[in-house]
Amino acid sequence: MIEINALTKVYATAGLPAVDNLSLHVPAGSVIGFLGPNGAGKTTTIKMMAGLLTPTSGQVRLGGFDVTRQRPAAMTRIGAVLEGSRNVYWSLSAWQNLMYFGRLKGMRRARIKDRARDLLTELGLWERRDDKVGGFSRGMQQKVAIAAALIADPPIVLLDEPTLGLDVEATRTIKRWIAELAGELGTTVLITTHQLGVVEEVCDRVAVIRQGRLVADLPTRELLAGSRERDRYEIRVEGAAPPGFDGVTRDGVTTITLRVDAPGEVYDLVERLRAHGVVLQSLTQVRPDLEDVFLALIQEPAHA
Amino acid sequence: MLDVLRAEIGKGLRIQLAHPAGHVITLLISTMMYLGLQFVLGQGELRQDVLPQTLVAIGAYWFLQYAGLVMVADLIEEQRTGTLAQARMSPAPPWLPMLGRLITASIFGLAVAAVAATVPMLVAGITLPLSWAALLPVLLLGVDVLAFTFLLAAVALRSPMIGALQSLLVSLVLLLNGSFLPLALYPDWLAVLARLLPTTLGIEAITRTLFDGRTVAELWTGGTLPQLLAHTVVLTVASGLLFVRNHRRTLREPS
Repeated sequence: MIEINALTKVYATAGLPAVDNLSLHVPAGSVIGFLGPNGAGKTTTIKMMAGLLTPTSGQVRLGGFDVTRQRPAAMTRIGAVLEGSRNVYWSLSAWQNLMYFGRLKGMRRARIKDRARDLLTELGLWERRDDKVGGFSRGMQQKVAIAAALIADPPIVLLDEPTLGLDVEATRTIKRWIAELAGELGTTVLITTHQLGVVEEVCDRVAVIRQGRLVADLPTRELLAGSRERDRYEIRVEGAAPPGFDGVTRDGVTTITLRVDAPGEVYDLVERLRAHGVVLQSLTQVRPDLEDVFLALIQEPAHA
Repeated sequence: MLDVLRAEIGKGLRIQLAHPAGHVITLLISTMMYLGLQFVLGQGELRQDVLPQTLVAIGAYWFLQYAGLVMVADLIEEQRTGTLAQARMSPAPPWLPMLGRLITASIFGLAVAAVAATVPMLVAGITLPLSWAALLPVLLLGVDVLAFTFLLAAVALRSPMIGALQSLLVSLVLLLNGSFLPLALYPDWLAVLARLLPTTLGIEAITRTLFDGRTVAELWTGGTLPQLLAHTVVLTVASGLLFVRNHRRTLREPS
């Protein structure tokens, strides 16, 4: 379980809080997408969770252990892949990397060997375990980084942009892995990514941060359902768009996309179109995806 | 604890040995530079009365240069690539991996210095007298150099641009520690300045035991050993304190 309580980080150089009174509780075994625009404070939060930065105030508890005050115990409960980093040694082989990071986590050699064998086999890297990581493709390197984060079988895993720069197949493997980690092993996974499709697919909860503050923390389904009032409707009519409507006309058919705040407004919309004598071809509800919800959340005026 | 230390040392040595060609070239350049300069300073001959003393000095310089290079360059590279952050996510205390790095640096520095010194000994027929009295100064010189290396690494935690300062200090050591001329030939004011640098006092103590036949007791009463001890202690304490300070600052405010 991850418990973040009133976490604040103010960099002396910036003056403003990078993370501002952030509280977040992530139950064990859940996968949470931690989203926000660039500079929102995601990486700062993750670094504080990983014990790489000390909070100005507030606390992070991993599996019940305070990262600042009970650091050694907290560090045995976490594995992380950090954004924009190699995370593993390119001059070493995949096997050597896993052995090294396993020992840093305090594991016994025999246990690391078993675990490394399982991880590398699962990742399809067993045959190339003795090759230097520097010679691997980007996807393979990222797999080794994730394997290194998982070597000690930590109950909590932080993945900062784990699928950045990966091809479709590698992304699919990592998504499957994340689902397995949480579903079968009960691992708590926190992911940050700009690929919202990944979040929608694997996360059962989404937290959105903006200007260091938490603006949403809901189960993914609730977050999507809660934004139903922002649902879009796509209306296709014959001929040009009637007065008062904007649309795209192609081959004599105009497609009009409208947002409605309440389901009842759809009937009014149809009535208005009928009043113009428009022939309706189809009316389709376009459910918002996470991207729509995310954009709406980060574009809302900031609360004081 | 020991497992972490062993893992860190093993990793460091593997990384160093992953690119052996670069080290071989550096070794060749180092030995050629030493012999070439001695040939020029000897006005066309390798002076056997100077070579043994300068070889001790250049050996200490090589140890310092390579240990520093391994320690600082690797640390900066690991900061850049994120592996240092990964290593910090360990239950081990932060000084432990750093100690492992220091041991790696000392093994590598020692190996390079030994190989680089062997070549001139074979080529120029240099022989070094051995004396038990030199053991303590050699150990203190080793600690002094590693404390200096740790100090540079502690600075590197906050200042990735440490490279320029490191080059300057290491160059000063090369110029002034007796690698070109024995310290006894320096003017007094320059000898005082030189003694502030790492290795100089150690070399002075070692050469006095090896070439002048001084005992440890004579080194102590003569003042060389107390100065060397004080230099080593001050540098060790300063590097430890700076590491603690910069580690805490890095956790508060990344550089």
